[in-house]
Amino acid sequence: MAARFRAPGFYRAALMMLGGVLFATALTWIVRMATGHATFHHYLSPDAILTVSLIAVPLAFLVGIGGFDYWFYWAAGRATRPEDHSSHGASSWKDYFRINTDHKVIGVQYTVNSFFFLLVGGLIAMLMRAQLAQPGSHFVDGNTFNGLFSVHASLLIFLFIIPVFAGLGNFVIPLMIGAPDMAFPRLNALSFWLLPVAGLMMLGSFFAPGGAFADGWTAYAPLSVNAPIGQTFFALGVQFAGASSIMTALNFLVTIITMRAPGMSFFRMPLLVWANFATSLLVVIATPFIAASQFFVLLDRALGFNFFNAAKGGDVLMYQHVFWFYSHPAVYIMMLPGFGIISEVIAVKARKPIFGYRMMAFSLLAIVGLGFTVWAHHMFTSGMAAWIRIPMAITTAVIAVPTGIKIFSWLATLWRGVLHLDTAMLFALGFLTTFTLGGISGVMLAMVPFDIHVSATYFIVAHIHYVLFGGSLMTIYAGVYYWFPKMTGRMYDERLGKWHFWTTFVFFNLTFGPMHILGLQGMPRRVSTYASQFADLNLFISIASFGLGLSTLLFIYNIITSWRGGPRAVGNPWRALTLEWQVSSPPPVFNFDRVPTVVGGPYEYGVPGAVHGIFAPAPSPTVADAGAGVVHAPSQ
Amino acid sequence: MEAASIPHPAAHAEHEHHGPPAANRSSRVEPQLLGMLLFIISEIMVFGAFFTAYFFIRIANGDPWPAHGTTLPVGVAGMNTAILVSSSFTIHWAEQAIKKGNHLGLKAGMLTTFLLGCSFLFIQINEYANIGFAPQDAAQQTIFYSLTGLHGAHVFIGLLLLLFVTIRAFRGHYSPEEHRGVEVPGIYWHFVDVMWLVVYTTVYIL
Amino acid sequence: MGRQQRPIVIAAVSAVIAIAIGIVISYAIHWFPAQASTQAKESDTLYHVLVIASIPIFVIVVSVILYSVWQFHMKPGEELKDGPPIHGNTRLEVFWTAIPTVLLLGLVGYSFVVLRNNEKKPAHEIQIGVTGQQFAWSYQYPPSVTGGAAVNSNQLYVPKGTSVDFAMRSNDVIHAFWIPAFRLQEDVVPGITTHWRTTPTLTGDYPVVCNLLCGLGHSLMRSTVHVVPEAQFKAWIASQLSASSGGSTSGGASG
Ligand code: HEA
Ligand code: HEA
Ligand code: CUA
Ligand SMILES: [Cu+2]
Repeated sequence: MAARFRAPGFYRAALMMLGGVLFATALTWIVRMATGHATFHHYLSPDAILTVSLIAVPLAFLVGIGGFDYWFYWAAGRATRPEDHSSHGASSWKDYFRINTDHKVIGVQYTVNSFFFLLVGGLIAMLMRAQLAQPGSHFVDGNTFNGLFSVHASLLIFLFIIPVFAGLGNFVIPLMIGAPDMAFPRLNALSFWLLPVAGLMMLGSFFAPGGAFADGWTAYAPLSVNAPIGQTFFALGVQFAGASSIMTALNFLVTIITMRAPGMSFFRMPLLVWANFATSLLVVIATPFIAASQFFVLLDRALGFNFFNAAKGGDVLMYQHVFWFYSHPAVYIMMLPGFGIISEVIAVKARKPIFGYRMMAFSLLAIVGLGFTVWAHHMFTSGMAAWIRIPMAITTAVIAVPTGIKIFSWLATLWRGVLHLDTAMLFALGFLTTFTLGGISGVMLAMVPFDIHVSATYFIVAHIHYVLFGGSLMTIYAGVYYWFPKMTGRMYDERLGKWHFWTTFVFFNLTFGPMHILGLQGMPRRVSTYASQFADLNLFISIASFGLGLSTLLFIYNIITSWRGGPRAVGNPWRALTLEWQVSSPPPVFNFDRVPTVVGGPYEYGVPGAVHGIFAPAPSPTVADAGAGVVHAPSQ
Repeated sequence: MEAASIPHPAAHAEHEHHGPPAANRSSRVEPQLLGMLLFIISEIMVFGAFFTAYFFIRIANGDPWPAHGTTLPVGVAGMNTAILVSSSFTIHWAEQAIKKGNHLGLKAGMLTTFLLGCSFLFIQINEYANIGFAPQDAAQQTIFYSLTGLHGAHVFIGLLLLLFVTIRAFRGHYSPEEHRGVEVPGIYWHFVDVMWLVVYTTVYIL
Repeated sequence: MGRQQRPIVIAAVSAVIAIAIGIVISYAIHWFPAQASTQAKESDTLYHVLVIASIPIFVIVVSVILYSVWQFHMKPGEELKDGPPIHGNTRLEVFWTAIPTVLLLGLVGYSFVVLRNNEKKPAHEIQIGVTGQQFAWSYQYPPSVTGGAAVNSNQLYVPKGTSVDFAMRSNDVIHAFWIPAFRLQEDVVPGITTHWRTTPTLTGDYPVVCNLLCGLGHSLMRSTVHVVPEAQFKAWIASQLSASSGGSTSGGASG
């Protein structure tokens, strides 16, 4: 028994978490005593204990589960051990509940965990739509409603879209670049385990005294400074999710820079790798800003600092600048990996090389650069200095240019191809239409006088969902269907998949399309009730949204049944050229027996005899000989 | 449900091996070094966010700096700066020593660096105790404590790293071939020093 | 016309028709609430221009997709076939970089013109103070408007045809002062005074909405603006003055 509590795992984690609570109690007691609280009652402040616990308990959990074991060895001055690969691979579902350093296992952990939070976040949306079905309804009370949309957005952004891309990337990228694993496998494992922590913390806020954090996912100060303790769950949950994102981004960057297979120059990398490279740059540079913004709020809340206290010289708008300096780039963090997925899917399913490969790569970098120069377009009506609107509006409009280059290049890739219209491709095409709509409404928002009318209305809610659902989520579905055989070794049910696509596509547009009109007509966002003139459209939207919710169940059903009992997948069911398809499905524990050599571009479909990578030792670079080692020669 | 990564039978039959093939090195930069440099970019951005707060409160709002009725101990902090900067040299000395295989130099260098860092932190805490204002007083004080405190926290983390390296040095872990364990924390320490110069200049001098 | 060209022509013609229909529909849809200020007029025109510029872009994207699905989907027997290996076309790429750039810069340029017109300070203008507070609005009419003591009221009356500058302050958290009929809003931020200016053109009562989450009562933080003829405005002010003679002095809206 005692051994159970000593070995890394859930038992030890539980014990340590208990220790975390005791530590928090003791610490706050000592500190409050030292600063001179007169009565015993004051020594034990529940808010203070809870705040410190929210830091200590998750850390204790991570220590308990074994996330830091290696670093403790190092800190204790023991001999460094090379990575020990005994924990690679997973032989039963239980292995997914342990610290595991195999990027493929981590990729699956990430993805499944993220989809869990999609369901929870979506379910919360269903509750919101139930409340909004009629004006003046009392399905939930006002405070709960504010909590619902705040948690809805926070979960879907910080625990679904951002990590699910990191998860797919984790699984696919090392395979794609011919690496046996990520550069820092232990860090990789730790960065996964931070996520459930962050997610449970945000969900757990519903049980906090005073209810869940209720200031939107943007948590504007000073409202968030004076909010009940639930807000602290957000401020700290974001720290854990953000730390996870930064660690993964560092890992991706180092992996991509230092571990590519011989012959894989930057311009022979698949565009998914490019996309994650670009995204990781955004993460490394931008994410510290949201961490800081929440630190400021936390310090104001817990220790009475004055960052946002206007009465003592604090600056309220500063919060928004710092927040959006992260959160605008974050919308590209939530979109660029999706662009990468779409490039993979469209090239393979249209059987053509990506049109304008180099421009596709450069436009990603252009978006990264421009992405840092537009943050104040979220603040056109914030009361900031008026002149800032001018440069920000220009850069915001210009950022549509590199995005347009991508859209048009995909269209040109489709042109004269041989289109395999299976589920992944349908989602890719659906993405092209819905994202274009969302992007266009974004460009409209860049036009200041128009934004002055619709900012913070349902027009924005429509934009959000057209780009995040119609954009990011559509690409995620495409990617999950595309790599499902590789990740699970099974084929999914194509017919169900197509049903999923069509129901999602139709109900999506019925749900979010009418929101544009609501916003223009004058319905504000973030309200639990509204003027009766908006009643009809809202009822319509609510009904459509339930259809959208049900369509998701088709997906879940398909995934679960196919994973358990779908037909076995062959190594390369899509006849793709990229390296991840040249190994078995699922891939061997160590990905490759021998690191492959890359001899050509990743998308040379239709080029006679074209090869991307070979597994034989590199021949002289000029001879791409069609001998035994050839990976795949597409037929004519 | 099926596990994602069952070893492929064919792949294993060919030749049994117990680890992955060594990854190809596609860059001359050491992975650890690159990781640390990228992490430092992130760290710079954390400071960047705090400096943004400083910018808004001191410059955009034009509030007096330091707040009326307060003074900053420029001299003491200046001496402290000298201490921290010299520690950057001592750690460099330690690195050079181990590259030449001089274990004594490594140990002496690491120990001095560690002690210099400790004295910096001690003086900083002492300054807080005697400075006569609190972060709760007004926004300027909030920024003062936040910037110096954020830096102090980094010094603390840096000191932990130095402590571990020092212990390992005394246990004889490093060699002229294998001294990355000194180098990578060393870069972090240099970063902490440089950051202090920026904080000191903006907060105390300007 | 060659046999091969036929589908393309069909597609192009359908696209043009779709664009035309789209533009007609965009005029038929009742997008906005009442247009009750000069700013609203300019802003609505901008919106229509944006919609008309956007429709062709969207139609082109969708047409290419539908056309590709129609013409290039995999036919039986093509399971192993690949498309032609086209890697790019520099002229095309320059084209679709340049055209959107020009279009977008044109649109922002036009939006700046609208912005300047909407925010220009006219020769004559009155100032009314707005105070946001969880969860109600109150309005301050300074002596320059009342001609007597300052008036503080929870009712908002503005004269038709006169430019009004709202000077907005908050007592607690951030709110946003939005009058959809005027198409204007701005946040009301603790610690600073923010402004927006409008010239009402249509008499009537319109909703005033708090448009920034400010806490529990945010959904209900609404009020009404009464746009009335100048004479009626004067009369209302007079009634307020007599009602609160010697009363409220907190209306320093120029602060
Ligand atoms: C995936 C996420 C994502 C993406 C990709 C985008 C992309 C864009 N967004 Fe969006 N945005 C959000 C997520 C996203 N946004 C969210 C979540 C909010 C609300 C936050 C909150 O307040 O809660 C928001 C809010 C938001 C605002 C603030 C509105 C307000 O609060 O008042 C603005 C204003 O400018 C804006 C603009 C844009 C623009 C110009 C783009 C561009 O990048 C779009 C570019 C793409 C295209 C234009 C389509 C394809 C291009 C072509 C086919 C070429 C030709 C096109 C033209 C010539 C027009 N967005
Ligand atoms: C990726 C991001 C994402 C996604 C996917 C969604 C998905 C949905 N969103 Fe969300 N939304 C946001 C991001 C997202 N949203 C953001 C950022 C905001 C702004 C918040 C703010 O103001 O701060 C927002 C705000 C927002 C609002 C405005 C709230 C307000 O301002 O008052 C509304 C209102 O209708 C809404 C609705 C929906 C609906 C109906 C869905 C549907 O697509 C959901 C579909 C349903 C599912 C996917 C789940 C289906 C599952 C089941 C039915 C059963 C589940 C079973 C188990 C859990 C066991 N969202
Ligand atoms: Cu006041 Cu919302
Ligand atoms: Cu943005």
